[in-house]
Amino acid sequence: MTPELLVDVILAVGLVALSLRVVSGGELFRDIVVFIVFGLVVALSWARLGSPDLALAEAAIGAGVTGALMLMAYRRLASRSGGASGDRSRRLRLAAPVAVLAGTAVAIIGLAALGIDGASDSGGAAALAALPATGLGNPVTGVLLMFRGLDTLLELVVLLVVLLGAWAMMIPGPPPALHLVSRDTPLVAALLTIAAPLCVLVAVHLLVVGADEPGGAFQAGAVLAAGGVLLVLTGVLRPSREAGPVIRLAVLVGPAAFVVVGVSAMAFGRPVMELPGLWAVYLIETAMMISIAVTLSLLFGRSGGFRRGGP
Amino acid sequence: MSLSESIGLALVGLGCVFYLAGTVGLLRFPDVFSRLHALTKADNLGLLLVCTGLAVLEASWRVALLLASIWLLGLLAATVSAYLIARHAHHAGAAGRPAAEGERP
Repeated sequence: MTPELLVDVILAVGLVALSLRVVSGGELFRDIVVFIVFGLVVALSWARLGSPDLALAEAAIGAGVTGALMLMAYRRLASRSGGASGDRSRRLRLAAPVAVLAGTAVAIIGLAALGIDGASDSGGAAALAALPATGLGNPVTGVLLMFRGLDTLLELVVLLVVLLGAWAMMIPGPPPALHLVSRDTPLVAALLTIAAPLCVLVAVHLLVVGADEPGGAFQAGAVLAAGGVLLVLTGVLRPSREAGPVIRLAVLVGPAAFVVVGVSAMAFGRPVMELPGLWAVYLIETAMMISIAVTLSLLFGRSGGFRRGGP
Repeated sequence: MSLSESIGLALVGLGCVFYLAGTVGLLRFPDVFSRLHALTKADNLGLLLVCTGLAVLEASWRVALLLASIWLLGLLAATVSAYLIARHAHHAGAAGRPAAEGERP
């Protein structure tokens, strides 16, 4: 057995074992931690499969931001009900049909996929062939923005709808206190001083290299959101009930920039969503990064907006 | 195998040994503080050794610099999070007693 195969087998077995552990565990907190580990192993698997873009996105969004959101939800559940682990048999009654349905869906899709013969004229080869003309070096960014822009725009809209749904579900009253880590300790202040600007630097780096190398708006937005989570946890940003004009603008700027640039192509007699050049890619990706980062931070803070926290 | 390759692989292997030791400590030690002690000490050194080994294998100053910054960032994150966990455990009064099964610091 070659070392590469050994690593792959460990990853595959680990994925199955971790996923079983996530759904069969008794204690909710441990399940969440296992889910975060599962996300990291998925990221490693994508890296092994030669998809660094997906690996980055999975590590930042799947393991990082989703894990933070789940831990925050657990905290609220635990503080509300004392313990977050409900009646086991009732949970099983809920979970079993969902698991059976999901398993059936996966099986049907898998069987259907087995029956498909790989079409020789699939879109992938055409996209790769057309990539040099766009000036982009990273085929993933090319597909996301140039060739399948509508899909990406709709992903942004889904994120916007999620935020609107969360806003609609907000419980009236003062926003929850998230000031979990006090800044009175020199270590936390030092971490903030170094980590917060570094988040911005890494996000901008991911955005810029995304044109030619792995990276892009989703990864950059998730890294920026991690900085936002850090600022919320340390009380530099405090959740407030109302969204100010800056927050509203930041949430909307991603989809808005995409729509404006995409539709204005019609004015020049070109097809809708055809981007006029590399500058448009950078413009839209920057706007997307801002919207993704602010939306994820707002979801984490369960808040309408942010205001500056006191010292 | 050249000399630099064997040195690099040996450093990476030694780093893995430190990681293993830290993980065994995390799993086997009785309370929050000794677990943290095992984890932070062993893993920081393990990461340094792995990074140094990879830099030797790659033989490029650019990669070495990137790996050094990764190690420094890991050091920073590990220091602050271990400190916060220890402080929380101290305030919660978990200092002397062994950690209960599944206890989270």
